[in-house]
Amino acid sequence: MVQSKAWMIVSLVLTCIVAAFALAEVYAVTRPTIERQAADALRASLAEVLPAASTFTEFEPGTVWSGHDASGARVGIVFKTQPRGYGGPITVVVGLDTAGIITGLGVGTDMKETPGLGLKARENWFRDQFKGRPADQVRLKRDNGTLDAISAATITSRAVTDGVRQGMEKHLHYLRP
Amino acid sequence: MNTTPSRWQYFVSGIIKENPVLILMIGLCPTLATSVSARDALGMAAAASFVLIGSNVVVSAIRKVVPSSVRIPIFIIVISTFVTIIDYVLQAYQPAMYRVLGVFVPLIVVNCIILGRAEAFAYGHGVFDSLLDALGKSVGYALVMLVMGSLREIFAAGTWFGQAVTPAWFRASPMLFMIFPPGAFFLIGILKALVNRLTIRA
Amino acid sequence: MNPAKILVGAFLVNNIILMRFIGLCPFFGVSNTVGTSVGMSAAVLFVMLLASWVSWVLYHTLLLPFGLVFLRTAVFILVIAGLVQFVEMVLKKHVRNLYSALGIYLPLITTNCAILGVTFLNVDYRFDLLRSTLFALGTALGFALAIVLFAAIRERLEDSPISPSFRGYPIAFVGASLVSLAFLGFTSLFGISL
Repeated sequence: MVQSKAWMIVSLVLTCIVAAFALAEVYAVTRPTIERQAADALRASLAEVLPAASTFTEFEPGTVWSGHDASGARVGIVFKTQPRGYGGPITVVVGLDTAGIITGLGVGTDMKETPGLGLKARENWFRDQFKGRPADQVRLKRDNGTLDAISAATITSRAVTDGVRQGMEKHLHYLRP
Repeated sequence: MNTTPSRWQYFVSGIIKENPVLILMIGLCPTLATSVSARDALGMAAAASFVLIGSNVVVSAIRKVVPSSVRIPIFIIVISTFVTIIDYVLQAYQPAMYRVLGVFVPLIVVNCIILGRAEAFAYGHGVFDSLLDALGKSVGYALVMLVMGSLREIFAAGTWFGQAVTPAWFRASPMLFMIFPPGAFFLIGILKALVNRLTIRA
Repeated sequence: MNPAKILVGAFLVNNIILMRFIGLCPFFGVSNTVGTSVGMSAAVLFVMLLASWVSWVLYHTLLLPFGLVFLRTAVFILVIAGLVQFVEMVLKKHVRNLYSALGIYLPLITTNCAILGVTFLNVDYRFDLLRSTLFALGTALGFALAIVLFAAIRERLEDSPISPSFRGYPIAFVGASLVSLAFLGFTSLFGISL
């Protein structure tokens, strides 16, 4: 084995170059797939909460989208909010029709809430409660409203509910023509 | 008494006798963090195995031309290359698993198992032997992950690989202890005690 | 995020060892006595701060602007390995007694998941330099707290009657389980979450 100082440096540099090239290749190959997936996932989550829309345009990057049906008419908006839950921020996506009524609610897949308790916020019964409500009816029963919380998961339930209501109040102005 | 272990030994010893987690006590961090369910645990084991096998083979292949004074940085470069590869491959083709494993994918690069095997074995052995050694350790690691992940998932969610395997009343009250960090520490303590019991007796 | 919350969060709520499981090898390897634990913690604090700064600067001035993000794993770990080597050389030459006090812990830090973990989390959380510093500081202090507390427990365990199968690692893990359980109580402290 060659032990000269020159070889030490050359072998290091060579390894770096080979590694860098290999990684650049892998990056180039995987990048289109990664970006496409992110775009698809986003479209799917938007469509889930505003089913009447077939296309979406971004109003605020990463936060508010406007939904349009096939004829181009506005059918509502979708906004994303991240209220602080028990174990971390919860990504909530809300669809509103042109009257400001909730058409759908999506709760993030990367939640760190407690499995079996707060994680139940993803279950259909909890999310469906929100449909058809305007902002002033989005409140938990224990907060003088009409929505059921998840038993033993008040913090998570409240986080989602209040986050939705505050988001609605904040973004309603987009619905005015 | 055998003087040189047969080639097959390299593979087999990694599974039980020199099991990386339970005997050598290395590679603990990802073991506890990602073993919340059987599927996630195996995903982590697969990612780590990819890096272990790949880097062991490469290190062994270039061992004759790598000067020993710079071998550690070169090992690190090789290992981090494989880690970055699996990082982007997971991101592109298994995004759900990637989200679950999170920061532990790049942390594979400091997984003691990998750097340890490169230094202790691959640098001094042929490519085929290094491959066998890496495969053996990978199987051993996957076994431990499978056990940990399965136990935690069954106790906590009552499912195994997502399929319910316990009665509904059990699943209605999840044993949260098992999902949270204390449960993981406790479980591996019990496992290690079991291993000690079995090996001390022998 | 509020700087104070980052510090407290990293220190207690999301304690790097007991809640995030990062940094376990040195945790179990070095925590047999309080003395060695303190030594390791000091070394970790030092390297973690330096590594956070250097990797943050490199990431934001070189990798990000030039689209080289895919090199970050390799760059960060090489930075850490290099820093540790450098620190070792400097200490050996100029602060001899500290060098001998830290002894073998210095090279061990390179494979300490906690250091690499912090550099990655700084990037993932998009912290600016101030917040990265606070995060690194909080994490290192959390590491110190966990390891010193644990060492005290282990020193006690030395004199306790433990059944043969449990001696050594198993009882240490069970002990860690209980300390971790205690730390779980910090969840949602001051409204800080993961």
